[in-house]
Amino acid sequence: MSPVNPALRPVPGSPVGARFDLVDHHGERVDNATYRGHHVLVFFGFTHCAMVCPRALGKLSAALDDLGPAAEEFRALYVTVDPERDTPEVMKAFLERSYPRFTGLTGTAKEIDAAKGEFRVFARRTEDPDGLEPYVVPHSAITYVLDRSGAFRTHFTEALEADEVAARLTAVLDAEAR
Amino acid sequence: MATTAEAGPKVTPDMRAELSAEQVGHLRHFENLLAQPPNDWSLMQGKGMGQDDFGGYRFQLAYLTYALALTHAHRLPAAPGVFKPMFERAIEKMLLPEVWIYWKDTSRGGAVFNQHLSDTYREEYDPVARDNIMYSAYVQSMALLFNYLFDDDRYARPGALSFNFYTPFWGGPPKRFEYDQNTLNEHIYWLMVENGYLGVACEPNCVYQICNQPAILGFRMHDLVTGGAVADEVTRAYERAWADFGRLDENGHYNMMMFQDSKAITPNRGSWPWVDAWCGALMNMWNRDLVRANYPGQLANLVDRADDGTVSVRPGEPFLLAGNPVVGDACDHGWVSVWAAEMGDTETLRGLLAHADRYMGPRWRDGGLYYPRNDQRADADGHRTEMEPMSGNVLLAYARLNVEDGFWKLYNQPWGPGHHTEPALTSVAADLDVTRAYYDPERRELVFTLVGRADRAGDGAVLLAHLDRAGDGWALWLDDRVVARGRRGGEVAAEGDGVDVRRTGDGVRLVGPAGGPHRYTLRFDGEMAEEMAEEMAEEVAE
Repeated sequence: MSPVNPALRPVPGSPVGARFDLVDHHGERVDNATYRGHHVLVFFGFTHCAMVCPRALGKLSAALDDLGPAAEEFRALYVTVDPERDTPEVMKAFLERSYPRFTGLTGTAKEIDAAKGEFRVFARRTEDPDGLEPYVVPHSAITYVLDRSGAFRTHFTEALEADEVAARLTAVLDAEAR
Repeated sequence: MATTAEAGPKVTPDMRAELSAEQVGHLRHFENLLAQPPNDWSLMQGKGMGQDDFGGYRFQLAYLTYALALTHAHRLPAAPGVFKPMFERAIEKMLLPEVWIYWKDTSRGGAVFNQHLSDTYREEYDPVARDNIMYSAYVQSMALLFNYLFDDDRYARPGALSFNFYTPFWGGPPKRFEYDQNTLNEHIYWLMVENGYLGVACEPNCVYQICNQPAILGFRMHDLVTGGAVADEVTRAYERAWADFGRLDENGHYNMMMFQDSKAITPNRGSWPWVDAWCGALMNMWNRDLVRANYPGQLANLVDRADDGTVSVRPGEPFLLAGNPVVGDACDHGWVSVWAAEMGDTETLRGLLAHADRYMGPRWRDGGLYYPRNDQRADADGHRTEMEPMSGNVLLAYARLNVEDGFWKLYNQPWGPGHHTEPALTSVAADLDVTRAYYDPERRELVFTLVGRADRAGDGAVLLAHLDRAGDGWALWLDDRVVARGRRGGEVAAEGDGVDVRRTGDGVRLVGPAGGPHRYTLRFDGEMAEEMAEEMAEEVAE
């Protein structure tokens, strides 16, 4: 396990620990405490991903657009499962070009493995069936929502459309307001 | 694969039909097995040792419970009092350490094909913490079926599904692992996510298609109870995940398993009938098109049809691992019978049951019907005679009790919200068999048949509940005569000899004449209670 901020204990009984201690695409160390005060969307993927990531990042970006000013209540993080290729520079270029709402997070292989374990992410390196890349890293396509304290709140899968995602995010804010 | 969630017919021909003597005999045998004291596993011991194989107690208890669920849902929907006590006892037995303690050894992953992983596995007492979906999913699905079928959330209470183990001579201090139907369901869901929805392993590193189907059933039941949509999510993702590998092997049979570390697929290389049959019977619940499309071709390679109409199952090849024979119960005849029943393949099912009745030694014991264990593969004339406890106690009974698409209907045509407040038999004395029990909301009739048992002690009483909600008044008919009447919230009175009725709560306690069969119809008149009328309107709208 990578060292994580011991103050950030997982919520007792929560199936997802959700702790991370990584480097953002500006080269700064970040962990759950960095985003305290905001709800956080977390999606794991890799920048060479041909299908799943572009679809998910586009959908999540559209959902945040739908929220209007309420989108400011969220921070969107894209955590790589391919730290070998996804350096901070690579992630920054990739995200700022196409998905500017997202901040990329990377780290050492050990740090990424720790984050994957916390979020119970599936990812495995394998040959590219299309032969276009040296390898690909098929991965689970779950979006995690952390609350303002950095604890896991809920998750949803890629089956949801952008408007459904927006509705789920609105529900998170509504639940907080009650 | 989106769940259909359509409303099924309220009353079907399977409900109108009386249970046969054989079907009643199987239910009685289930009851006999479940009434055995803790750790008395008489008649349930198979060839394998250590609960390691497919004939283990957990499988018998789980599929016995599934058979009860299917019979209740499709044949006797107004008789929860018949099924609920058996469900409770089955779950109680399922939690006994004798059923699951094998996991502390199996968890170490010492299989010959896992030697390269032996350093990564450790002894684990908690039987649901990781892997072992071949046990955990049954506990999950049994508890959630119970909640769905009986509208009783007792297994949702914290610690309601606890695994306790203590022996004074080994294993250290007492161990207790606390779960409930919700925490267990969520735990299994996340194990599924972690493995990319390909499924959770049984033995370490071995992901069987078959053994993940019960977890999907559990997710669906949880959705029905809580209003979620996890089963849809999991089945869609499961299909996508397996698309990379193929659900079928090159011969059109279901791929048996996948190694978790290498993602290497193990096809059904032994032509084992149980692989297709077990997988097909279960997967039909959410993937009917695939199962039905492949059934005829798969079946054709697995059975022999005799001129007299009997059907037998060709044995698969011996199971060898690293040259060593693996001793266990394959249960081919039982699984193929279950599969044919789910497919509604009446001709094949009849043939398989006829073969069992002719060559596999059916026996009546304490009023129950079963097929005793027989390790002899075939008789002198070559007729297959082998019978495992899993098949003889459970699977042939399951096949006889199920209806066409029984699992599919359980999954896709759930009861509406009003079901649990309809008139029903909520308690049934030990000396009664119920061979028919349904409520017809259009005719406003509770129809049931009772048969007294001379071989059992009991007070001969049934509790007919939820009567006040269904109408202003009612008349109880026994065959062609009225034997009792009652008014909502008021007096009830018998009208004839041999029948005793007494008000109890919102219903009555009925004691009828001995023997039987006695065919009763309880007809309501006047206005339905407003609550029930609203619930029925909701169901119609849905």
